[in-house]
Amino acid sequence: MNDLPYAADAEASLSGEELNVLRRQYYREAEQGDVTTQTKFNFAWGSIKSRKAHDQDFGVALLKEIFKEDPERRRECLYYLALGSFKLGRYLEAREFNNKLLKMEPGNLQAQNLQELIEKKHEKEGLLGMVIVGGAVAVGALIVGTIFNKNKR
Amino acid sequence: MANMAGIDGYEATLKILLIGNSNVGKSSLLLRFTEDTFLPQDEVAATIGVDFKVQDMMFEGKKYKLTIWDTAGQERFRTLTSSYYRGAQGVILVYDVSNRETFDQLDNWFNELSTYCTNKEVVKMIVGNKVDKEEQRVISRKEAEGYARKSHTLFLECSAKTRYGVKEAFEELVRKILETPSLWQKRPLPSNNINVSRQTEYKQDDEACNC
Repeated sequence: MNDLPYAADAEASLSGEELNVLRRQYYREAEQGDVTTQTKFNFAWGSIKSRKAHDQDFGVALLKEIFKEDPERRRECLYYLALGSFKLGRYLEAREFNNKLLKMEPGNLQAQNLQELIEKKHEKEGLLGMVIVGGAVAVGALIVGTIFNKNKR
Repeated sequence: MANMAGIDGYEATLKILLIGNSNVGKSSLLLRFTEDTFLPQDEVAATIGVDFKVQDMMFEGKKYKLTIWDTAGQERFRTLTSSYYRGAQGVILVYDVSNRETFDQLDNWFNELSTYCTNKEVVKMIVGNKVDKEEQRVISRKEAEGYARKSHTLFLECSAKTRYGVKEAFEELVRKILETPSLWQKRPLPSNNINVSRQTEYKQDDEACNC
């Protein structure tokens, strides 16, 4: 391993047009009153990958629906729910979803990587938050420096 | 290595995609290549959407960064994985030598590849995995070689379980990519990944790699 764990699916977003294809299909089926799970999942996936928070939010909501409706799709729902929550900065929720997946599949390497990523980011932002609240800018720089050094190692 | 980040140590960054039916061993190949480990089948979870690993490779004294995208083979992710083809310079099509269906479906994977990968020069390689299961083999090397020749692709057999051929497969693919400068030398990669001054020495053709 020569890099930090990296959630490729979280970072690589779709083009606006690609997301639109998935969106159109979703609303077309919705108009006809019957959205297939696949269509819904595809749109949720694309929404989570978007850089816009309201898209990500929408994707999370869709995935929660699929999770309830289709037990067969739970593993991917949990994974993308964790990813979506992670992108939205809701690390505790992300951890919870991911832990559920890890409970089902302890050996899942994708989930293990995502867990590491969530913990790192959570820890980093937690420390930054404390520093800002304390207003100790100099101390903050010191801590941030330490974190970066730690990550480089 | 992470401590090289920030210093431009890379000659180029190459994007490689693994495709093929589920259960042929795409993730296992990647795990063997990047971490030199192997997990027994009952411990392996089917890939969700896509997985991703980064691996450095030295080639003729220069360092390259490989970003390897391991796509889910399951049908349910098929529409999604198409978006991962973008920007790939190399694609490895994997089948299982002990499962005829996974070989027969290479045609479909080629169709998908040509649909989503608009760059005609993208380097393709067929890899027959699980040669450790010799007694269950149903696809002979000869048959697969013939198919690869017809499809104008590289071909190799390997076993993620025993390591046989795994490193060679990636090395061969990278060699072929590097032999095709138009694939990687004028791509608009992040500036810390490629030596920009060097690009101008090569002919610029209009067909940008937007695969």
